[in-house]
Amino acid sequence: MQTTLLSEVASPAEPISRGEIPDFDLLVHLHRPRIFRFILASLRDREAAENLTQDCFVRAYKARDQFRGASTIATWLMQIAANLVRTHESSRRLKFWRRSLQPAIDLADVREWIPDRQMSPEQMAAAKQQVEAIWKVAAHLSERQRTVFLLRFVEDMDVLEIVAVTGMKEGTVKTHLFRAVQSVRVALEKNS
Amino acid sequence: MSYLTLDESLAMFRASAHQWSEREFYAPKPLIVKSTTRNKAAVSSLLIHAGVVMLMAFAGSLPPVRTAITSHFTVIAPNPGPYLAKQHRGGGGAGDRSPTPVSRGSLPQTAKRLFVPPMIRNNPDPKLVLDAGLLLPPDVPNIQSEQFGDPLAKAGIPSNGNGSGSGMGDGDGGGVGPGHGPGYGPGVHGGWRGGVYQPGGGVSVPSVRFKVDPDYSEEARKAKYQGTVLLSVIVDEQGTVRDVRVLRPLGLGLDQKAVEAVIQWKFRPGMKDGKPVAVQATIEVNFRLL
Repeated sequence: MQTTLLSEVASPAEPISRGEIPDFDLLVHLHRPRIFRFILASLRDREAAENLTQDCFVRAYKARDQFRGASTIATWLMQIAANLVRTHESSRRLKFWRRSLQPAIDLADVREWIPDRQMSPEQMAAAKQQVEAIWKVAAHLSERQRTVFLLRFVEDMDVLEIVAVTGMKEGTVKTHLFRAVQSVRVALEKNS
Repeated sequence: MSYLTLDESLAMFRASAHQWSEREFYAPKPLIVKSTTRNKAAVSSLLIHAGVVMLMAFAGSLPPVRTAITSHFTVIAPNPGPYLAKQHRGGGGAGDRSPTPVSRGSLPQTAKRLFVPPMIRNNPDPKLVLDAGLLLPPDVPNIQSEQFGDPLAKAGIPSNGNGSGSGMGDGDGGGVGPGHGPGYGPGVHGGWRGGVYQPGGGVSVPSVRFKVDPDYSEEARKAKYQGTVLLSVIVDEQGTVRDVRVLRPLGLGLDQKAVEAVIQWKFRPGMKDGKPVAVQATIEVNFRLL
């Protein structure tokens, strides 16, 4: 699993002192899928996600001397990624015509992410609808709420990690998280 | 009919996000131009198109479609040919530099060739008597009189005026009046009242020194109306335009616009014998919309 690998590298037990990132290639190799996943889920645009992932590591490489070691590398990279997503969003807000070009989420085989494979076709269809509804809600959340929501439920971060990534206060993060989940709940109830 | 709890749904959502990103991450990357470039291309294309459209709208709303009507105009020089001799219109002038202005009197008779200009005779007993004459059109009344003078001058002591050469008045050359040449009036050369020459026969065509493009009238632009206005003008000795007449009108206010513009034009006057003269000219003003 990737998470175990990540925690191995970025565990606090293996502190990386200031300005010492041992092997940047390895770091890219380990963290790239995760950063890409977060940006892809945030923007739902593969090309933009690839570009921003690249940008993220370029920035990290340029600023590798300034890495304070105060947070884990994973958090630090995710912080850069979240910033990039935010600037990308604010610049995209001006390009209103882009919205229609936004590709729909391409959800492939349902079976791969449905835990219980004994489901009937109707149940699977319903599950697919649920998941699509959540994607739709996530797309319409505000940028902050969505970031918090994705970090929590896709990247499995806890509140303190999210605090480190977003730079928001703990209470703010919790509020955003609550509101996001509330929106999802409302949407799912409407769906069913 | 919800089969799933919120937690289950969120877990499935998580799984779908992971699956999607993994698929995209490991999918072969299509060899395409970077999206940023494409965005840039789209944006710049849009900007250029918008710019062109705005430019067209802007150009259409400009009062004078300046580039459109670079006024192809032609100064036509009709050749009066054989009629030229009969069309002398200039006036004459003369004097013997006497200090008093020319005195009143009648014009001498019309002559086809001028031998003796009208003068107050200071020689009471000439050897050879010739009737004084002026080169005038035949319709000028011929009055035989002993007392020659300018019919428009004040009566007074008989005087030849302060011009030079033989004749009477302030001009030079043998004639009567303030002009030049053997005629009568303020014009030049033989003839009657400051007349106008036709180009040709030793009179050069005036050329444009300064011109103003005519505006397009509002109605004509709306109607996308185009055409040519033919104007007849007189270019005087100073090169300014006067007596503009419309020979071939176009309508929709374009005639007035053409006249307004042409009246501001400046010419190098037409020349006769090295002297600027008033010349009749015809000007074509083309109105074209882009």
